Amino acid sequence: MIARETLRILTESAKYDVSCSSSGSGRKNTGGIGNGMPDGCCHSFTPDGRCVSLLKILMSNDCVFDCKYCMSRRSFGTPRASATPEEICELTVDFYKRNYIEGLFLSSAVHISPDHTMEQLVRTVKLLRTKYQFHGYVHLKGIPRADPLLVTEAAKYADRMSYNMELPSEKSLKLLAPQKDKESLFVPMKQLQRERTIFRGEKRRGFFLPAGQTTQMIVGASPERDGQILRLTQSLYRAVGLKRVYYSSYTPVVDDPLLPSAQSPALREHRLYQADWLLRFYGFDVAELVPEDEDLPLDVDPKCAWALRNLQYFPVEVNRAPLEMLLRVPGIGGKSAQKILSARRYTSLTFEHLRKMRVVLRRARHFITAGGKFCGEKNLLSVRGLLAAAEQPEQPQQLSLFDTPAARSALTGEL
Amino acid sequence: MIYFFDGSKDAFLTAFLLAYRDQNAVLTAGNRQLVLGQESVFVSADHERARRCERRFTELDARCMHDLSLLLRSGEDGRGQIALNYFRKIAERGRPVRGEMAEDAVREASECIRRVTLEAHRLKGFVRFMESASGALYAPLAPDNDVCDLLIPHFRARLGNIPFVLHDVRRGKAAVWDGTHAFKAPLTEAEILLSADEDKWQALWRQYYASVNIPSRKRIRQMKGYMPVRYWKFMPENPSAAAGDLPMQRAAPPAEQDGALHPHGSSRPLPPPPGR
Repeated sequence: MIARETLRILTESAKYDVSCSSSGSGRKNTGGIGNGMPDGCCHSFTPDGRCVSLLKILMSNDCVFDCKYCMSRRSFGTPRASATPEEICELTVDFYKRNYIEGLFLSSAVHISPDHTMEQLVRTVKLLRTKYQFHGYVHLKGIPRADPLLVTEAAKYADRMSYNMELPSEKSLKLLAPQKDKESLFVPMKQLQRERTIFRGEKRRGFFLPAGQTTQMIVGASPERDGQILRLTQSLYRAVGLKRVYYSSYTPVVDDPLLPSAQSPALREHRLYQADWLLRFYGFDVAELVPEDEDLPLDVDPKCAWALRNLQYFPVEVNRAPLEMLLRVPGIGGKSAQKILSARRYTSLTFEHLRKMRVVLRRARHFITAGGKFCGEKNLLSVRGLLAAAEQPEQPQQLSLFDTPAARSALTGEL
Repeated sequence: MIYFFDGSKDAFLTAFLLAYRDQNAVLTAGNRQLVLGQESVFVSADHERARRCERRFTELDARCMHDLSLLLRSGEDGRGQIALNYFRKIAERGRPVRGEMAEDAVREASECIRRVTLEAHRLKGFVRFMESASGALYAPLAPDNDVCDLLIPHFRARLGNIPFVLHDVRRGKAAVWDGTHAFKAPLTEAEILLSADEDKWQALWRQYYASVNIPSRKRIRQMKGYMPVRYWKFMPENPSAAAGDLPMQRAAPPAEQDGALHPHGSSRPLPPPPGR
């Protein structure tokens, strides 16, 4: 059994990786323990609001790389620990059995050399699949500059792999992560993409990365604009076939003159995710959302911003608009659009119907008509202000008897 | 007229046949204050009539019996009435009405079904098993809706031949997979002899849960939104302590009594089902 202190160190060094999904794999339990759940499953939530789906852990945090933003970097005095493949496997199976986790997210600092580290990771996941007969979800982190044969071997056993871009441009990589470069990340990504396509084409038995690849970028550690980040994202989806791109607000964990000292605002990360969803599920192209050298607006969400720039398309009639257009209405998401499509086959929809069907009208009412009726703001100029105000729900606060200075002095006796 | 039924499918169908023409009918499986001057009747299942009714409904809508089984699992007192209105609509139209979300009856039924399936879905993640000395797994839970046995196929597929018990302590029943058969059984109190390492694994899990959190980002509301507080009770990671709701209450080291350990290492047996 793994020592508690080892688990603590290896978890704390892994926790800043944002990827947590366990979706996309339909692996079956063939005589052992575990299976994939194609929609993924969250098992717990921590007070930071993030879900715990996978056992997210490093094999080792003893790194030869020296990336400025990373708390496992060589020149940083953090306690070091390593776990053996057996310890990781045992931990995974026993946690999984108790339904604590959906699978394993195994990463590692570059320990000794990239090849050595990748070999350890592959050995662990192989052991887990063969000796421990574990068929649950496994997400494996790719180590840049590891041997291509090791990469292929890993993909045969893992459900998903990821190489973290970390920084959205070559220039920032050079500055902040001197041992990484674009090539060391793109080459294995493209290799896996190529091999996965071949494997799928051959319709062979077995698996080759059933849940595909993902990556992660730190936002706010380097000067790239949202427009640039989203263009890179779109090309990763289209050219490299990634399943997800994660964004991580920069959190200062180490002091370095090259890095900003403040936490990057969570709202920027949120807007990037909203734009990311528009690219993947709503049929938007990045050119419609934001110019290359600009950031997304913070006051309204990217779909609202697009709609306000393109008022010539609105208002749309909910009883007639095609799905693609409904999806472009601010405030109407995939589920609401489906409900509307289904309900309008039987009756002509009114605003009352929409409200009862729980279609959120706070934003949508400015952009739709229902049965020819319009319920939004007539003065187009004030719509943006209304939408921005609607973004910030008033936070009701309990009034306190003891909040005034006088009351406080009455309590403490201090004048 | 108020029609009381026992919550079973056959009793519902029998009551439906009596009530569906009566526009003022109230159909209920819960306790309901009797209103003076309102007539009430207790309907017990007539299996033959129920079969006929079921056959007819299946002709009209092949999936409606599945909807009914989910509606009747709901823990809401209004479930009988919601089901009555929904089935009335099917009878009226003579075809499936599932998509007519603009109709109150359909929308209410669909939302009720969604609450049941949502809870089943959430519990797939939030159930926590303990390992007994024999290797079988035991999980106590107190769901709002009667969903225990809906979870069996899910856990059976992933746990292979490990036997497990899902104990609904609120309703005093259990859904069991014994390695070869799945069944439901009444179960009020359970005393589990835990495996030797169970406490160590729970301690490791608590350590993991504490370490993976990023304390500088505190988003308790989000945490509670995704994982409602009512599910925290049976989680060994003790989210309420982590969220700062309660002083840290570490389970005391398990007290050994005649070699038998109570779950969670406490010496109190599981709570009896509250009277419903």
